[in-house]
Amino acid sequence: MSASLARILIIEDDRTLCAQLGELLRGQGYATSSSNLGEAGLGMAISDAPDLVLLDVLLPDLNGFSVLRRLREHQQTPVIMLTACGAEEERIRGLRHGADDYLPKPFNITELQLRIDAVLRRTRMTDSVRPADVQQLQVDELRLERHAQRVTVNEREVSFTPIQFRVLWHLVSHRGEALSKPYLYRTVLERDYSSYDRSLDMHISRIRRLLGEAGLATDRLQTLHGRGYVFQ
Amino acid sequence: MNRRLFWKLCIVIAVGSVGLFWIIARVAWQTEERMSFIDAEHQRTLRHYGEQAESLYRGGDHQTLERWLNTLQQQEQTWAAVVQAEVRPLVGELSPRFLEGFGLGRDVSWKIHLYFAENPIMDIPFSDRSASFLIQLPQRMRPGLNWHYAKLLLQLVVPLVLLLIVCLVLYRHLMQPLRRLEQATRQFSDGRYDVRVRSLLGSRNDELASLADTFDAMAERTGQLIIDQRQRLADMSHELRTPLTRIEMAVSLAEQGADSRVLLERIRDDCNGMRQLVEDALTLSWLENERPQLRDEILDLTELLDSILDDARFEYPDRRLLAHLPGQAVLAGSSHRALGQAIENVVRNALDHTPPGGVVEVDLQADEQAWQLLIRDQGPGVDEQWLERIFQPFFRVGSERAGYGLGLALAQRQIRATGGSILASNREGGGLQMTICLPQQPNGQS
Repeated sequence: MSASLARILIIEDDRTLCAQLGELLRGQGYATSSSNLGEAGLGMAISDAPDLVLLDVLLPDLNGFSVLRRLREHQQTPVIMLTACGAEEERIRGLRHGADDYLPKPFNITELQLRIDAVLRRTRMTDSVRPADVQQLQVDELRLERHAQRVTVNEREVSFTPIQFRVLWHLVSHRGEALSKPYLYRTVLERDYSSYDRSLDMHISRIRRLLGEAGLATDRLQTLHGRGYVFQ
Repeated sequence: MNRRLFWKLCIVIAVGSVGLFWIIARVAWQTEERMSFIDAEHQRTLRHYGEQAESLYRGGDHQTLERWLNTLQQQEQTWAAVVQAEVRPLVGELSPRFLEGFGLGRDVSWKIHLYFAENPIMDIPFSDRSASFLIQLPQRMRPGLNWHYAKLLLQLVVPLVLLLIVCLVLYRHLMQPLRRLEQATRQFSDGRYDVRVRSLLGSRNDELASLADTFDAMAERTGQLIIDQRQRLADMSHELRTPLTRIEMAVSLAEQGADSRVLLERIRDDCNGMRQLVEDALTLSWLENERPQLRDEILDLTELLDSILDDARFEYPDRRLLAHLPGQAVLAGSSHRALGQAIENVVRNALDHTPPGGVVEVDLQADEQAWQLLIRDQGPGVDEQWLERIFQPFFRVGSERAGYGLGLALAQRQIRATGGSILASNREGGGLQMTICLPQQPNGQS
């Protein structure tokens, strides 16, 4: 087995962008291969079985969606589509056709890496069933009971919606660890993150308000701008 | 306005043709009637023949009478005779009415049946009615010699000509606006976006006029769209030129060995700026072209504002953001993405125009039907005349370097797409106030 984080196949017709992406991702510890054509890229995706495919929508020979459809006939390799439409338009038109995620161009390497992490983390999580789930979390005066979906601060119950509970549970169980937005969207809200989507931020705001009203210090739940959220 | 053209055509074609044929039938009948009588002069001649015959008969000279009769027959190329007829009743009596009307031939003042080829026998009784001078009407005296031509004229030529004229008038009536429309369409496709048709059609108010109205509305919107898009493209290129120049300069400086850390930072900033611009432009043209209704979500404005203000405080640590928000502010029929981005842009704009150390206030209040979100800054404000135009893409006040870019234009269209409105006004003590009004009850998915 290679020592790389994951093997990523890049199918992108712009050679410069393709080469730069490969170089940046190798710099981050991934192993990469690439193709400038849809047909050839599809062949590589099927024969090499990479951990993740970055797929451009506009390819000279074969549309990216066709590549995706034909790939899906063979295997469930996670695919992140690279598109050139506006994010909101893209979301509303639902042009995703079963991709695991999509990223509108232009994007930067940090964003891309967060998406890759989130997708890989999720697929690996479902691959290996997690053992012995924790049923209760206690951090100082805050206590979470998973089965009853109950949150108490100083023995006083705070009313949470199921989603708010899941967000808080995730953050508290990964206490001290920054969880990225794409990751939280994937695992808690069970959908993709796109720019201008504030659902998660809104849930966090509400959780913070509720915990604050119950007497918990509001800086326990911190926003790491550009990175995600962390519970201290 | 409904179906005026239909009624026009009905009147002209249906009522018009029935009327036309009725009139033609009547005129033909009258003409035939008038043409059926023997010319007055000929009537006199015939009576004169009768008188001559009577006087010759009374003179007792039967030979002279016979000669005269022969001459007359030759002269008029007809048959003539002086006859005596006695009507004797065999059974029954002769009524005065019968005696009065009885004749051996037709009276000269009677009509002639023009459709009989044979000429009738005329009866000119002697003054005492004892005998009659009979003559078959000489051909030269036969009335209605032109009757066939007149009939042809009245039954074929006149309706044909009249209907042709009606067709021509109708055609012109229909084609004139269509031709105007065709011309306008051609001019429009040649790039004259200001061309309009309705005003050229005068007081006309039918289906074709409404077509012209529709054309005008289309021309208005399409023309404006094309002009706007051109302007947008020009503005975009202009906006991209500056950061591109800065990037090129930074690259050149780096090549000369300047501190590349600072330069890379600058390049990244410019890239982010351009990226934002491209993204905003795409969203803007999508909102304008498709006019989507983004109203399928129920959200809590307090949560949304919390998250926006949290980001803004992080981005502008040197300005103060004062917020007065209720604990909960539920808004139905909206979209947190569109609204969030819009509010974010307005807040960022307020912070941009507020000097460091200044305060930006954000107030959320409810009135009966709507949430009123007020965002007040301590910037220089905007000249009254520009208050509406700051929502146009790439609007700049004068030659001011920091323009409004696409942020406010985008915000206005996003707020509209969620059913709300935004208004700019100047504060009394200086600074700009943005009022965002978000109706609580969505009035249907219009």
